[in-house]
Amino acid sequence: MSLLRLDRLSRNQKLALLAVALGLGALVLGGPRPGKIVLDERELAAIVEGEVDHVTPDELADWIVAGRQDYRLIDLRTAAEFAEYHIPQAENVAITALVDSDLARNEKIVLYSAEGIHSAQAWFLLKAKEFPAVYILLGGLKQWTEQVVFPEAPGESAGPVERIAFAKAAERAKFFGGASRAAAVAGPSTASAAPGGVGASGASAPTLPKVVPPPAPAPGGAAAKKKKEGC
Amino acid sequence: MNAPFFKFGLFGDEASLIVAFVIGIGFGFFLERAGFGSAKKLTDQFYFRDMAVFRVMFTAIVTAMLGLFYLAAVGWVDLSLVYIQPTYLWPQIVGGLLLGIGFIVGGYCPGTSLVALATGKLDALVFVAGVFAGIFAIGEVWPSITGFTESSNLGRLTLPEVLHLPMGLVVFLVVLMAVGGFWGAGVLERRFAASAAKEEK
Amino acid sequence: MSSDSHDVRRAPAPYMNPYLAGIGLGLVLLGSFVVMGRGLGASGAFSSACAVAIDAVAPAHAQGNPFWRDYLTSGVGHPLKEFLVFEVLGVLVGGFLSGLLAGRVRRTVEKGPRISIGGRFAWAFVGGALMGIGAKLARGCTSGQALTGGALLSAGGWAFMMMVFAGGYGAAWMMRRQWL
Repeated sequence: MSLLRLDRLSRNQKLALLAVALGLGALVLGGPRPGKIVLDERELAAIVEGEVDHVTPDELADWIVAGRQDYRLIDLRTAAEFAEYHIPQAENVAITALVDSDLARNEKIVLYSAEGIHSAQAWFLLKAKEFPAVYILLGGLKQWTEQVVFPEAPGESAGPVERIAFAKAAERAKFFGGASRAAAVAGPSTASAAPGGVGASGASAPTLPKVVPPPAPAPGGAAAKKKKEGC
Repeated sequence: MNAPFFKFGLFGDEASLIVAFVIGIGFGFFLERAGFGSAKKLTDQFYFRDMAVFRVMFTAIVTAMLGLFYLAAVGWVDLSLVYIQPTYLWPQIVGGLLLGIGFIVGGYCPGTSLVALATGKLDALVFVAGVFAGIFAIGEVWPSITGFTESSNLGRLTLPEVLHLPMGLVVFLVVLMAVGGFWGAGVLERRFAASAAKEEK
Repeated sequence: MSSDSHDVRRAPAPYMNPYLAGIGLGLVLLGSFVVMGRGLGASGAFSSACAVAIDAVAPAHAQGNPFWRDYLTSGVGHPLKEFLVFEVLGVLVGGFLSGLLAGRVRRTVEKGPRISIGGRFAWAFVGGALMGIGAKLARGCTSGQALTGGALLSAGGWAFMMMVFAGGYGAAWMMRRQWL
């Protein structure tokens, strides 16, 4: 067969063999992502201990007020809970839907749930899938409500720094449809686990404000910036 | 994993334009190396005289496909962040047909016409003018034909998904198909008494 | 064969082995995937340029047509500061460079022996127009859809690629006078 004339075709034949070998390798590997998830326990433990994976409600509130669009806020609760109230800019994704969602590894992701347990579990899930920038809202929606929407006034003995911080928080609370509340008197702890309740002492428990269209700048700007990547 | 580098913020939009320019240089360079700045060489493909178009195209596809697969397999590239155009099945079928006809009628495709232009071919200049005319024409009527142009949008759809086969198997099959095709191309060339000896050093 | 040979400086070098050229092209494509997370293209740059030209002449009309407006609102601050436009400029430079190195830069008209230059120009224009239309319908041309889409195993890309070959072979008999 003229094909086997090595002086003319051996290089091409070698290339063909190389291609087929690599193809076989691909066949053996099966898929581009390894099937097993490999976790570096030490690295994860170090992250948890260093608390670099947290975002405080304070920080998140400032981001929202500043109109930052460089992160995705994920609400892990049920659709009903989400409809009743959610933090502005949040998207409702159940833990089970997290795996198939369109979250990408080059995005900054902030997770929150009612108190923090589900968000911690979801954090672990995403970290296992090698998402590098996943954060948990410290304290969940409960702490969000207490610190941002209904910030508590400092006590009598508070210094000027605390008072200034509170003044800022009180202003910011209005942005989110909330209001500041009076300092808690000694006695029944406001941190008691009243389910869903905010527990301000002395006054009836304030209900969370109705969901209004996000006061932050319209996301139209961000959507329009989506680059054309076609040809 | 921190690739694709641009998607992970390694550099910004302005720098990406420089990257685009450099990539383009490589693209144009190898197109010309292969002889695709010549309409005669390109169209010889469709008379079975010179199967270079088929060889170059499929070698490039296999090279990039294997490279990407292995880089993703070792976790160096996040495949989900590499942009795949959505599949608009019928517009792409009709468009492909028009493109194929345009190829043999005009002698170039948009990319190769630029390479030909850069190496002095006057017919490439006319071809480029024609491309602009065609784009102008369809751009003007586009809003009234969106019924067709936006039809059969299947989204980001890959062959492994369509065939319900693991990606590695599809990759392997593509490699086999390409290698088999190269062998067959050689057979066709010899049958049509091509001047194939010219292109091999 | 070709019409103008007064500036031939040396005999043109033979073309590169197609498999090696293909590997080179494939590596460039792979580089684009790894660095940019996208593939190659060409027709998009033509569209951007066309949109800009229309906008310069009839801005209200351009802005009113969503097809043009889409191209006019892309890019880094200006529709021409766009990935494909810069890539296409690179293609011109790279093609010229390779041609220069190989002694293949020459003002000429590529055509078969049985057709006139005028006839060739007419077909080149028509072919280009068909290409422009087809590329927009398919959202890409051979560089974008066939090469890039092919390497990424995109279903639409492969369907497109097969149709391109079908169209080319299908119309080859009709166009034989231009090339053979």
